Amino acid sequence: MLVIRPLQENDLEDLYAMAQKAGKGMTTLPADRDLLQRKINLAQETFNQRCAPEAGLYLFALEDTETRKAVGISGIQARVGLDEVFYNYRLSVTVNASKELGVHVRTPTLHLSNDMTDISEICSLLLSDAYQGGGNGLLLSRCRFMYLDEFRKHFSEKVFAEMRGVSDEQGLSPLWDALGSKFFDMKFTEADMLSGLGNKAFIAELMPKFPIYLPMLPDSARAVIGRVHDNTAPALKMLQAEGFNFNGMVDIFDGGPVVEAFVHTIRTVRDSRNRHAMVTRKAVNLDVPAAERVMVSNRSFRNFRVTTVPASCVGTDTISLPPAVAEALQIESGDPVRLAPLKDRAKTAVKAAR
Amino acid sequence: MWLVRPALQDDANQILEIAGTAGSSTARLSSTLPRQREALAEKIEHSLVSLAGKTSAGGQPPRFLFVLEDTVTGRVHGTAGIDARAGNGQPFYNYRRDALIHASHELGISSRVDVLYPSHALTGHTLLCSFSITPELRNTEAFELLSRARILFIAGHRDWFPPSVAVEIQGVQLADGSVPFWDSLGRHFFNMDFETADQHSGVLSRTFIAELMPPNPVYVTLLSEAAQAALGQPHELTVPNLELLQREGFQAGCYLDIFDAGPVLEARTDALHTLVTSRAKTLHGASEEGGDTCLISAGEGAGFRCTLAQVADTLEGTLKVPVNIWDVLGKTAGDEVRVAPC
Repeated sequence: MLVIRPLQENDLEDLYAMAQKAGKGMTTLPADRDLLQRKINLAQETFNQRCAPEAGLYLFALEDTETRKAVGISGIQARVGLDEVFYNYRLSVTVNASKELGVHVRTPTLHLSNDMTDISEICSLLLSDAYQGGGNGLLLSRCRFMYLDEFRKHFSEKVFAEMRGVSDEQGLSPLWDALGSKFFDMKFTEADMLSGLGNKAFIAELMPKFPIYLPMLPDSARAVIGRVHDNTAPALKMLQAEGFNFNGMVDIFDGGPVVEAFVHTIRTVRDSRNRHAMVTRKAVNLDVPAAERVMVSNRSFRNFRVTTVPASCVGTDTISLPPAVAEALQIESGDPVRLAPLKDRAKTAVKAAR
Repeated sequence: MWLVRPALQDDANQILEIAGTAGSSTARLSSTLPRQREALAEKIEHSLVSLAGKTSAGGQPPRFLFVLEDTVTGRVHGTAGIDARAGNGQPFYNYRRDALIHASHELGISSRVDVLYPSHALTGHTLLCSFSITPELRNTEAFELLSRARILFIAGHRDWFPPSVAVEIQGVQLADGSVPFWDSLGRHFFNMDFETADQHSGVLSRTFIAELMPPNPVYVTLLSEAAQAALGQPHELTVPNLELLQREGFQAGCYLDIFDAGPVLEARTDALHTLVTSRAKTLHGASEEGGDTCLISAGEGAGFRCTLAQVADTLEGTLKVPVNIWDVLGKTAGDEVRVAPC
């Protein structure tokens, strides 16, 4: 069984192995033991409410209960840009017009911006190759929306995600080569890593502050602004299905888009339902396709857990859970739980059972 | 004999002819000299009003236009102008090339980032402009006369001019007519080719520049390599002119032309070489030819004349000049003239 739970101390090695495999482009999870350890510590402080709510970093692990290994991770940063400065480029338009000459020119322009400051970010999604497919990625991503919904006062009304931009196999980014490299005198991967390590001061020091007029950049660079890396296209599609939209902000290094949504409009949030758990002794076949499963979570802030069960378990007021599932969710009969569809067909199942 | 005098309406046809030849076979004509008859007539009229010491109908600051005349044929071979206040009551646009240091102590990085800032700082300075000359006279003494006569005019009418003076030097233009700096920057915003924009800037109000010019500073490193190489570089055909102006005391500072990134030269009016070395003298007759060739100017306002002559200077404040020169200057013995060594 695969269960979402808060990241734990003993996840370090699993996490390190995953980060190592993911390689470049995963800026929020670099393969650096010290840094990962710090993230684990911060996550534990966050779930135990030992740090300021706005400083929280909610990291969830996807655990395979059979091997007791973490096979995926995803996270929510409670607020960005509070102890460091959070940068994006805003893609906007400069219009120059002269009535006298009948000229009207629109110039796409990048403005350096800190507009995402104080907003919650969903981040750090990583799933082991061996566990790709079968709705595991959906579970790993969508469990965060259930948490956001459950504990709204800890987060901003709006949440966003930074999508990885275009770079090639060698880690070369067309936008970086045309823009960043002219100011930073380092490789994209190097700058990206520095930024991931949490060192943002160098950005303030080296980044061009004046607007960048896009016609002055080569076609190759202009073409990737607001576009995602091929590997990230499925993640973008998933977020779009949840109601996230491109908000006009792009990554300052690779031009990847920022997508955002209001929490109350996120599909998983809108489609989620409350039930009471009913632990059943009846045999339940848990091995059904992803499309026939629903996510079910407990309602614990400190020990949030989510797993998936067949949609057929959902009743009008209750949901029947086998003892193993109840144990994994750390609940007993009568405890409140929350449901949300994993895939579209499960959504109809959840609605039908209303 | 070569004579520099104020332009008259009758000169318009010949000036337009120079515009035709100069524009095609050599470096383009100064953008501040209109190629349209109507605009040129207006400019000459403005000059005449200014020379009379009056204010123009539009209340614009004084502008002067002079021509180079061959006194034998009566033909006009060149033009030179002075705008008493650059911008003529409107903003005068340049880029100011400046530098920022982007430094990261932590990373041990310190790099110089060059930036072009839109600037109006030269607005209101005196501007030497509208310089054109027929190609065969380049690098001759007539060329020098035409350019420097303006300084003698300023010397003779010092009250009309502010303490600083500037001149725009034409920038790099390739053999195919393209202007690298324009193609890398201005073209994107003005949506027109260089020639069109340049002509507009000579004829239209400068409003269109305010409307179309990119409003924010521009990073030099994002310009094309050809454009970067052209920053502050003079067109090769303007080099003699540039050198002449440098001898006059002009120096390239941090300002660049907004269209072609040619250098803008600056000087203190009171430090201009011709002005400093010129002396007011009393005109006397010379019995024989000989002496050093000098610039001689005389007359106020519309009566201003300037020519080259071999003169015998004296220490007593009199200047011995052949009588035929008196006629050219429109002066007679005992009148005051101004002389500057060549």
